[in-house]
Amino acid sequence: MIDMKKSWLALGCLGVIGVGLLIIVLSAGALYNRLNARSQEVDKQWAQVQNVYQRRADLIPNLVATVSGAANFEKSTLTEITEARASVGQVKLDPNKAPDDPARLAEFQKAQEHLSSALSRLLVVVERYPELKATTNFRDLQAQLEGTENRITVERQKYNEAVQRYNTSVKSFPANFLAGLYGFQPKPYFTATEGAETPPKVEFDFGTKKKAQ
Amino acid sequence: MISMLRSKLLRLLFALCAATTWAAEVMPPAPKDHFNDFAHVVSNQTAQTLNRVLEDFEKQTSSQVVVAIFPTMQSPSSIEDYVHRIFVNWQIGQKGKNNGVLLAAFVRERRMRIEVGYGLEGALPDAVAKRIIAEEISPHLRRGNYDAGLQAGVTAILQAIRGEYKGTGRTAAQGRNQIGLPVGLTFFLLICLVILSVFMKAIRGMRGVVYRRSGRQIFRGGWGGGGSGGGWSGGGWSGGGGGDSSAGSFSGGGGDSGGGGASGSW
Repeated sequence: MIDMKKSWLALGCLGVIGVGLLIIVLSAGALYNRLNARSQEVDKQWAQVQNVYQRRADLIPNLVATVSGAANFEKSTLTEITEARASVGQVKLDPNKAPDDPARLAEFQKAQEHLSSALSRLLVVVERYPELKATTNFRDLQAQLEGTENRITVERQKYNEAVQRYNTSVKSFPANFLAGLYGFQPKPYFTATEGAETPPKVEFDFGTKKKAQ
Repeated sequence: MISMLRSKLLRLLFALCAATTWAAEVMPPAPKDHFNDFAHVVSNQTAQTLNRVLEDFEKQTSSQVVVAIFPTMQSPSSIEDYVHRIFVNWQIGQKGKNNGVLLAAFVRERRMRIEVGYGLEGALPDAVAKRIIAEEISPHLRRGNYDAGLQAGVTAILQAIRGEYKGTGRTAAQGRNQIGLPVGLTFFLLICLVILSVFMKAIRGMRGVVYRRSGRQIFRGGWGGGGSGGGWSGGGWSGGGGGDSSAGSFSGGGGDSGGGGASGSW
């Protein structure tokens, strides 16, 4: 009689534990799936970012050819661009997987920004060559360059948004306990470009210093 | 220590400044028509004609081309950034195809932009968009002839992207009924309604009169509403559109853009 009761009790306990375990395993699985989906979203957007940067790099040989055709165009500007493009090519990141290492992303971004500034300097220099500026070839190239720069801005922004969604789910409860086990690390963001980040020069020390300029 | 505190304070101040300038932006709500002249610079007749042209174009090709002329740019950001966000907000182009184009002009700034969805970047590359702005539209606008400029611009855009996609003979706006529900969902709800009413009858048959009143009330509560979310027409975005004032020809198809296109001024 008593034995019967005991074994029923044990069976009941076992059942409860079993159901509990099942729930834990299922929810851990669901969590993994969610993290995985977010992570893939980030990778997809990263590929898109690489894509637009590549698009810009592809424009450069054509641009250099067009510009160097113009009579006595400044050689130094062109060498700078060619060098900047080469240094961009040296920072190799996997195009199908978003970087986990902030330092690598920073390195990539620095190389790309170097190219950006070289390009914008070229466009400034071109202002001194009205005949070159007027050619259809150059105008088309300029439109493509502007469009590509804009695409880079847009895709970088979308990338940061994807990373933010991913990081939020990695860091929020209860994923934060399991994400490390599964190997999901928070991913780094693109930072604001130099110059855009520096706030406008505003002097707050009224009276203590003389104004610059 | 003090300098650290100060830099933190400064950063906070800048963040606040950024937040307030951000708040100064006005995001225009999705328009009802394909051709929208919020600045009232185009004649009614041209606006209606162009709206019909763009509506027919969507029926034939499913590509959504939207024109919006604003009196002024209500954003501290760049035209590229602002127009891109308008494009995404209005969901121009069909979902999956991303075949949308937005031609946005800001009269006071004398600036315009053609923003091209992902799916049309091949048919309407940046250089072509730039040429349409510089050679087709700007010369007319510089002379103050908005009618001719927009007509030429729309014609050039449609010419570039015609044949890229096949249409269904209907616009995205027609795919939705008056309450604004997709056709599939409406069917689903209708079937639910039938099943529910059969259930109600069965229950009523079993239990007599008890459930009758509450059942009716549920019905009234559930189906009384369903008005579409209007409410923006008064705030300065009204008027100036093309087609029928009642229905409207445009409804965003869920398209996206990656910032392709070109900008220019006149």
